[in-house]
Amino acid sequence: MKDLKHLLYFENLLQNAGNELIDQAKSDGGVCVAYVCENTPEPLLNLGNAFSIRLRAPRTNSMEMGTYYMTSFLCEYSRALLERAIEGGYNFSDCIIAPDGCSMMNRCVENMELLKTMSADNDKFFYEHMEIPMKADDNGLNLYVLQCKNHILTPLHDTFGIDVSDQAIRKAVAEHNRMCRLIRAIGEFRKGSEPAITGYEYAVITLATYAAPQALIMDRLEETLEELKKRKPDKTKYRARVVVVGSEVDDAEFIKLVEESGAYVCADRFCFGSFPGRDLIELTDDEDALTQICRQYMYRGQCPRMMNMEKMLGRRQYVNDLAREYNADGIIYEQVKFCDPWAYERMIGTHVLNEQFGYPVLSVDRPYNIDTSAGQMRTRVQAFVESIEIKKIQGGAD
Amino acid sequence: MAKEIGKDRLGDFFAEGSRVRSRREWRGLKDTLYDYSRWLGIMFTLAKFVAKPRNVKAMFRYRWMANYLAVPMMVDRHTQGLRGEYLRICHIEQDLIIEDVAKLLDSLFRGDRRIGNDEEFSKKVVLVDENEMTAVMMGFPTLKGLSRETPSTYISVLLNQRAACHYIDVAQQFGLAGDVCPMPEAEAGVSIDDDAPVLGACAIQCNTTCDGSMLGNGVISMRLELKDGIPCFQLAAPLRHREDDVQEYAAQEIRNAIAFIEDKTGEKWDWNYYFECAKRVNIATKNRLNWLEMNKTDYPQVFGSNLALYTETNYMAICGKVPAFVKADEKITALAEQAYKAKKRAAKEYRHRAIVWGVQSHFYMDFLAWLLNCWGIVPLTDMLSMVSTRELVEEDTPENREQAYYDMAWLTENMIMRNRTHGGYKVLLDELWEFCEEFNADMVILWEHMSCKALDGMHGQFEAKAREHGIHLVWVSHDLFDPRVVSRQGVREQINNYMRTVMREEPLDPTLEVLPDEESW
Repeated sequence: MKDLKHLLYFENLLQNAGNELIDQAKSDGGVCVAYVCENTPEPLLNLGNAFSIRLRAPRTNSMEMGTYYMTSFLCEYSRALLERAIEGGYNFSDCIIAPDGCSMMNRCVENMELLKTMSADNDKFFYEHMEIPMKADDNGLNLYVLQCKNHILTPLHDTFGIDVSDQAIRKAVAEHNRMCRLIRAIGEFRKGSEPAITGYEYAVITLATYAAPQALIMDRLEETLEELKKRKPDKTKYRARVVVVGSEVDDAEFIKLVEESGAYVCADRFCFGSFPGRDLIELTDDEDALTQICRQYMYRGQCPRMMNMEKMLGRRQYVNDLAREYNADGIIYEQVKFCDPWAYERMIGTHVLNEQFGYPVLSVDRPYNIDTSAGQMRTRVQAFVESIEIKKIQGGAD
Repeated sequence: MAKEIGKDRLGDFFAEGSRVRSRREWRGLKDTLYDYSRWLGIMFTLAKFVAKPRNVKAMFRYRWMANYLAVPMMVDRHTQGLRGEYLRICHIEQDLIIEDVAKLLDSLFRGDRRIGNDEEFSKKVVLVDENEMTAVMMGFPTLKGLSRETPSTYISVLLNQRAACHYIDVAQQFGLAGDVCPMPEAEAGVSIDDDAPVLGACAIQCNTTCDGSMLGNGVISMRLELKDGIPCFQLAAPLRHREDDVQEYAAQEIRNAIAFIEDKTGEKWDWNYYFECAKRVNIATKNRLNWLEMNKTDYPQVFGSNLALYTETNYMAICGKVPAFVKADEKITALAEQAYKAKKRAAKEYRHRAIVWGVQSHFYMDFLAWLLNCWGIVPLTDMLSMVSTRELVEEDTPENREQAYYDMAWLTENMIMRNRTHGGYKVLLDELWEFCEEFNADMVILWEHMSCKALDGMHGQFEAKAREHGIHLVWVSHDLFDPRVVSRQGVREQINNYMRTVMREEPLDPTLEVLPDEESW
């Protein structure tokens, strides 16, 4: 296929934690709100002149300082973030919002706070830790709303004078939805048997919406969508279609590796992916916007920290629904090594998706930077693709 | 063989390759007779237990039951070197805990569909987590809150260091990553292996100590709900438990949990019983505070294993529901005050005053006794004993009934371990140094449970703060339930190395420095 016009641009945005669009937004008077977990309602971080950046640590190799502070037993994502913070890689941010999504991210941001990694030369900088519900119910919703008020809206307003009114929130949701519609529309091109976009390209584009100020990439997203409508797909070289499910993946190289091994990534159910991160937020006029946002984040969330039975069972059903919708032949369950929540979810999900829903499942753990273990992963995926092919030849028999 | 404290060479009791020690300790006539009578008492408790055919049947059904043959040896490990009041305190606690666990096992097997199958009894059972505050059961006098994980994994590892290995392997063979905490991993393994009693009208699970524990519950609830038909309620206690803006959520979770139990069992919440239990919780807190105050002086009395194991049981599992623990508290306090007035000490020399922090190695709980006997390090208190000291309301008034929900929520949020591993760095990091000052400690023994992410995540900060405060910080790595990763001797070596190379000291009892206990229970 002909290269997408803006792919290189999007790729370049992802080369470092910071990028030229962040600099541009800052020079235009923007307030950079850093965050680290998908359970943080994104539109609330994009009010007025604030813009959200979800922290990543691309091209991480050495994590010696992160490992000194947090030992080698914490997940590499949390250690890489701390390492990058100590190096000054997030000095573009003006504050950080961190829910206690998991212990490791909590400790990561607490170490940043104790070491004053971003606040040493910035008096206004604040670190906010918030409680988020572990169950989807009315009590959880009340908590979510209160926490967002106390740990997002109030500090943003009091520190930076940002308008946090219902009207401002609705405006931010409208912009958020505009971006989500584009990402969803681009993602639709993955459904066909000869898709007009690769899983890697889609991952790069989606990642850019987390890693750059959304308002500044909207034009390029629109242009990319138009380009895709006219793009002539290649005859497919892929031998199987897979859904990637699991913990955070902010490294599109992982998706590229899977595709180079013969499996087309037709859907992305992971943190930094588009499901459910790029779902539209539907607002009505009969209730305040904040409550509606929180409700939708709480009920749509697929994070394994949600512990009630409906949520647990729903997570596996969600993967099944995705796999059906995107015509997947198999599922890849992945987790960053040392991630407790996904260690359990991967184990159960692997069995349920295979035994109850009948999908071939590859279950893998992986390093944060896939380049440090590419050979092993490639072998695993290649073997998985072969097993799917053999299954197809045998007519689905085990 | 000596009557006096510290005269024995305690390492000589260990024999290479043996599961048990070579002989009993001579503690002088009076103490030896007392110790022996208590040993007989334990044997009597066990005999009463096995006299019931259903319990014998359970011995053959459940793999982990074999560990209970080692009960007397567990008590012996904790009484090493003890004399006088310290020996008596230890026995009062341990013997009561053993009796309580025997009752728990008996109840589990009575209702177990595979063993006793007493259906009427089973309808009165509410299953609770191992690491869960049982506060929501404080108002249900006719119901029994039973934990299956406590006897199958938690107590089992105290009895036999290798008890959890099989279940850890089961979980990993099922696909669980090997880098998670082995405690919920073993509990999940029991469930995967279908090796837990099946009974109860419902279950209350809780996001207890860590992410692993919370997710491990998912494995258990899948079997309970989907296979055994036992409905589960997931009680979500807030993580940032010191914040005011989470307390209403926490209280509502308690209300919802109580409503769930009422719905599934048909029983009604009894406020009289609740306030009765609350009074007992307050008595336990008062006594614990009294012991901690003594430990701040030169003559600590209830410390080490005597404090740690008992607090875990009394605070969390009992939570005011068993009057016998109040009596035990009173006896312990009387003995401690008696020893305190006489300025008694539990070892021949106290060299260092230590706060023991972090999550202790479960397969080596008698390590605290070893610290004292081998190196003269007095474990004044430990992280798991530094739990809530808040007084609960105990008068039955409309206002207090409302406050009671917040009290139960507070207890649930502040259950053992989670009150330090969750709640932000202040409760784990900053308060440690405050305790060092309060207790006049010169040393911190920091258990580094290698799979405990909440603790490991503060590793560098602990080091930095220890340097700042001029406190000796001794790391002791271990893997909680799995002695294959770091053995008991591996645990001891870390102390030995520090004491010899940094402190340049010689042990009080050199026979304890290296022990051939690799094969012991």
